[in-house]
Amino acid sequence: MMDNSEGAQLRPGLWDTVNERYPGSMIVSADDVALVPLTRPIREARVAFVSSAGVQPRGTLPFDVVHPVGDYSFRRVPSTSRVEDLEIHQLKYPTDGAARDLNVIFPIERLQELAAEGAIGGLTPEFFSFIGYNMDPVSFERTLAQELADAVVAEQPDVVLLAPA
Amino acid sequence: MSVQYLKEAAITGDHDRLLRYVRLHLGDGNEDAGRKEIDKAWVEALKLLLDVPPTDREFILGAIDRQSAATLAHLFFHLHFYFVQRSGEWIHDGQL
Repeated sequence: MMDNSEGAQLRPGLWDTVNERYPGSMIVSADDVALVPLTRPIREARVAFVSSAGVQPRGTLPFDVVHPVGDYSFRRVPSTSRVEDLEIHQLKYPTDGAARDLNVIFPIERLQELAAEGAIGGLTPEFFSFIGYNMDPVSFERTLAQELADAVVAEQPDVVLLAPA
Repeated sequence: MSVQYLKEAAITGDHDRLLRYVRLHLGDGNEDAGRKEIDKAWVEALKLLLDVPPTDREFILGAIDRQSAATLAHLFFHLHFYFVQRSGEWIHDGQL
């Protein structure tokens, strides 16, 4: 079993050096969006899922993981997808575990189960995914984040689950 | 490094700053690793040409002639990863 203590990090000190290695890449916003209270019981709530794991339906244009400044697009992932219909295009995090079980990074089957059991009210027809390697915070906020937010809102979720990779 | 930081470097001719960024990108945040990755890609490309196999120069020249400089720059990064992957020594956590 993997030791999750700090000493077992794959790249010790990684986050201590992010600003030194990638100055200016961190998003700093004075306009944080306030959390809003849930308006209905979770058992009635429609859940959307947004992930930066680079998960996408097989056959769709792969995320651009080689571009030096990043990829500012997102993919729609039908919430009814089977894991074998999905794939990952991502360079910047270990995907070995996800290759064995996609749910460790993109828990689509767990969410489908929760919906089937009635623990949650249901799933939005579409989930969403993008890659986290985006070195232009301004473009990220004005294009990807804005377009993604609009797409999520159009799904009319009651809850949005956000999962970084 | 933000794009603004890099654009300033491009304007002022600070190539060291730009090169460092490229190495960090290709080395997943490790500059020394990125430098080795660049070398690895060139070695792999060179090895493929040592026997002077036939190549499609019309395709190459046509692409250079017809495609934008930006598309070719993008292709350059694709080719880097192509040759690195082909070398069989893959340092990246994920996949293309």
